[in-house]
Amino acid sequence: MADWISTFPLTQHITEFTKNQICRVISAGPVPKHVGFIMDGNRRYAKQNHMEMKEGHSAGFESMAKVLETCYDCGVEVATVFAFSIENFNRSRYEVEWLMELGKAKFKQVVGNGELCERYGIKIRVLGNLDLLPKDLWKVLKDAEELTKNNTRAILNVCWPYTSRDDMTHAVRKVVTKGYPPDAITEHLVAENLYTGGLPKLDLLIRTSAVYRLSDFMLWECIDLDCDIEIVSVLWPEFSPARMAWILLKWGFGRTYYGHRMAKLINIDDHTKQT
Amino acid sequence: MVEKINLEEVKHNIAESNQINTNVSPNKLVKDQAQQLEKEGSLNLEVGENGPIQCSAAYSNESFIASFNNIFKTLISPRDVGTRSKFFKEGEHPTYGQLVEFYIYYLVLTIIYIFMSILRLFQYMSNRSKLRFFSVAFNSAADPEVINSDVNKLPKIPRRISTILNYKSEQEENGGLEGLCNDAAQVASWCLSSGITYLSIYEYHGVLKKRVPVLKKAIYKKFIAYFGTENIPNFIIKIPHLNLTFPGSIDGKLVESESEAVNFPKNVQYNIEVTLLSVVDGRPTIVELTRVMAELAKKGELKPKDITLKFMDQELQQLVGKEPDLVIMFQPFLNFQGYPPWQIRLSEIYWEPDNDSTCYAVFLRALQKYSTCKVNVGR
Repeated sequence: MADWISTFPLTQHITEFTKNQICRVISAGPVPKHVGFIMDGNRRYAKQNHMEMKEGHSAGFESMAKVLETCYDCGVEVATVFAFSIENFNRSRYEVEWLMELGKAKFKQVVGNGELCERYGIKIRVLGNLDLLPKDLWKVLKDAEELTKNNTRAILNVCWPYTSRDDMTHAVRKVVTKGYPPDAITEHLVAENLYTGGLPKLDLLIRTSAVYRLSDFMLWECIDLDCDIEIVSVLWPEFSPARMAWILLKWGFGRTYYGHRMAKLINIDDHTKQT
Repeated sequence: MVEKINLEEVKHNIAESNQINTNVSPNKLVKDQAQQLEKEGSLNLEVGENGPIQCSAAYSNESFIASFNNIFKTLISPRDVGTRSKFFKEGEHPTYGQLVEFYIYYLVLTIIYIFMSILRLFQYMSNRSKLRFFSVAFNSAADPEVINSDVNKLPKIPRRISTILNYKSEQEENGGLEGLCNDAAQVASWCLSSGITYLSIYEYHGVLKKRVPVLKKAIYKKFIAYFGTENIPNFIIKIPHLNLTFPGSIDGKLVESESEAVNFPKNVQYNIEVTLLSVVDGRPTIVELTRVMAELAKKGELKPKDITLKFMDQELQQLVGKEPDLVIMFQPFLNFQGYPPWQIRLSEIYWEPDNDSTCYAVFLRALQKYSTCKVNVGR
C-alpha cells in the first residue's frame, strides 16, 4: 500500500517539500560545520539480507549519498567519510580489488554525472596515504579532485586509504621536513599539517552498527572538548536521512541547551571565549 | 635503523610546558609539595593554577531549569551567526522579508527544542532510575570475592584499563581532592580484584599528578579495606611524562617518601601499576615530540624519512603508555576531553548516559560489554 501511494507524483512532491522544510528548520539553529562518518556494517548488512558482499557495499554507497545530501541541505560545510582503512588491505584480495573497482566506478560516476557535486557545489578531496593505491585508481581520484576543485559550497573528504595514526605520523614528518624553528611548532601547526588541516574543527563523529571504538579514524580531531561522538546501532546501509536529521537536531539542541558542556564539566572558563 | 631519540629531552620539555619549575628536579619538587601538604595538614589546597574549582552546572539536577532558560535566551538573541548564512547572504543587509522568514523557521525550531527538552527530562529520569537499579543489583560490597565471582563469569577481560575521572568541586558529594583520590583508589581495587594489572587514570587538569602522596595513602587505605591487613597488594604509581615512579606499598608497608624506598627490597613484583595521565599527555606530547625531532633533524641526527608509524608508536608508548583495551568514562556523556589521541585507536569505550558517579555497577557493566565485543582490525 505504502509503496503504491509513493508512486504518485504528488506524494513525491510532498515528501520532497517536507524534507526541504525540515532541513531549513534545522539549519536555523546551530549545525555542526564538520561531520565525520565511520561507515560500518556493510558486510553484516549483506549477510543479514542474504546478499553478496558487493551488494552490501553498493547499498552502503547509496546510503552515503542520501545521508550526505541531508547534511548539506541542513548546512553542514564539511563531511569526512571513512571509506577505506589502510588496515582494510588485510582483507581478502578479492574483496580489496572489488572495493577498489567500486570506488573507481563510483568516483567516475559522481564526476561524470556531476549530480551531487553540481547541485551542492561540492569539492571532493581525497585524504590518506595515496601512495598505497593502484595507479589507475589514483588517477581517477586525482581527476575527481581536479574537476571539483573550484566548488566552494561544501566539501566532501573521502578517506581512502586512511588511518589516523598514519595521518599524525605524516603531519609530524611534514613539520620536521619543513624545518620550522622549535618555537614555531605548536599544536595548531601540527593540526594544520594533518590531512584535514585548514578545515573547520570536527564537531560531530557518527559511527554506525553499535561498535564502541574509533578504529583509527580522526583520533586527533575527535578528542576535542567540543566534538560529540554519536554511536548508533543500525548498520550503515540502514542509516536513513531521517535519522541523520534527528542527530543533527539533537546536536543543535545540545548546543542550545547545554552550551559547551564538556568545558563546563571540567571547569575551563576561557574555553568558550577562545572559540 | 632508527636511533632512539633522547627521551629525557622530550620529557624535560613536556615537564616545562606543564608549568613545573624545572630548576629543581621533578622528583624533588613533588616531594617538596608533599611535605608542604603534610605540614599544612589539610587537603583544601587550591588546585593547580586555576584557583579553586567551582561547582559545575552539568552535574546538578537544577540544570534542567537553567538549560531550559537557555533555549528562551537564544530565541531572543540567536548567537550563532554562522548558521544564519543559509538565510542571509554575506555582506548584505538582510531585508525584512528575510528576517521574518528566518524568525518563522527559528520559532518552529525552538518549539521542537522545547519538546525535546521535555523528552530529555524523561530520558534523564529513566537513565537515573536505571542507574540506581544497577547500583543495587551489582554491588561490590567492598569484597574482592564478590568482584572476582562477578568477573569470572566473563569469557574475556581486558589486560589494560584506562579510566577518565573528573574533579568535582568540594561542595559536591564525593568531591574535592579527597573524593577524586577515593574514586581512583576504588577503581584500582576493582581492577586488582578482577585480575587487571594495569590501570591508567586520566584527569584533565592533572590534579592527581600533583598530589601523589595523598593518592598513595588513599589507595593504601582502600587496599586494606578490600584485602585486609594481612595481604596488602604491592602497587606502584607512575607519571610517564615526568618519568617518575612512586612505589606505593611494598610487602604490606606504605612507602611514605622517596628516601624510604631505599630501605625496601629492589626487585619487587608489583600487583598493579597505576599510571596518571592528564591533558599534557595528549596533543601537547605529540607536539613536543615533533619539536625534539625537528631539532634533531636540524643537527642532522635524524632524517625525516626515518619518522615512521612504528617509530612514532615506540616513542609515544614510552612517553605516554601502552594503548588500553578499555576506556571507562565516569561522566554523563561521551567525550574524550583531550585524552591522548594516539592511545585510543582500538580501545573499547564505555560510559553510562547521565551517570556522574564512580560506581561499581558501571565498572562491571563495562567489563561485561567488553567481553562481548569482537575486535577485527580492518577485516
